[in-house]
Amino acid sequence: MGFKEKVVPTIRISDSLLVPIQIDLDDKTVEQLQAQLLAEIQEHRVRAVILDVRMVEVIDSYISYTLTETAAMAHLMGCRTVICGIQPPVALTLAQMGIELQGFLVARDLEHAIGMVYSP
Amino acid sequence: MDGKLRELLDISENDFDVVVRISREEDIAIARQMAKQLAQELGFSLADVTKVATAVSELARNIYRYAKPGKIMIRKRPEESGGPAIQVVAADRGPGIESVDRVLTKGYTTHERSLGIGLSGIRRLMDFCEIASEVGTGTAVVVEKRRRKF
Repeated sequence: MGFKEKVVPTIRISDSLLVPIQIDLDDKTVEQLQAQLLAEIQEHRVRAVILDVRMVEVIDSYISYTLTETAAMAHLMGCRTVICGIQPPVALTLAQMGIELQGFLVARDLEHAIGMVYSP
Repeated sequence: MDGKLRELLDISENDFDVVVRISREEDIAIARQMAKQLAQELGFSLADVTKVATAVSELARNIYRYAKPGKIMIRKRPEESGGPAIQVVAADRGPGIESVDRVLTKGYTTHERSLGIGLSGIRRLMDFCEIASEVGTGTAVVVEKRRRKF
């Protein structure tokens, strides 16, 4: 997949894919991100995708829906999905709305996420 | 027609600080951004800025999905008796909602790509939420959030 087709630049660390999301997610970009990640999972046969959402200020119901769907698709392709760095206001908002990010492993930060993927 | 709905659909745009017309997908992000900015200007906490921005995102998406074109109107109410507040009116002349009770039920949706959590979530995020709707006429949702002192 060419660099220009990527909505979020990703980094491969051994057999994981690190996805630092540093843009404001809207409906279109989150859909593009889903397509990009599925293509990269297939292309590189990664065992885990780590989504770092530290810079994401709003996660609403559709973004949650699409990310959860992405994690479910990744799971079907034999890949785990870890989400890390959810900011306190975003966590509060998601919890109040009753949104659970099902299918994700949730980590505090990137280091914790990498530990989760590589711990036995 | 429902008097409240008519009043809200005919409300003057001049009374608001920001009016965002919702007809394209990008307009959802624009409305969200404007709401965030106004909440910040009123001195809302980061948590409440996020809640207001998320609620507006849901309202704008509802218009885009079910009733476009419509509009999101936002105003600061600095002099409210309960302290400064932000008010958002989402109005459209779309198909209307058959059962408001049903759309407020968590998990209810008519869209295949949805958690059915939007309106019920908005009610939990905001201090005030009122829905006026009539099939064939349109829908108006009014939400408010007051600034909290810490």
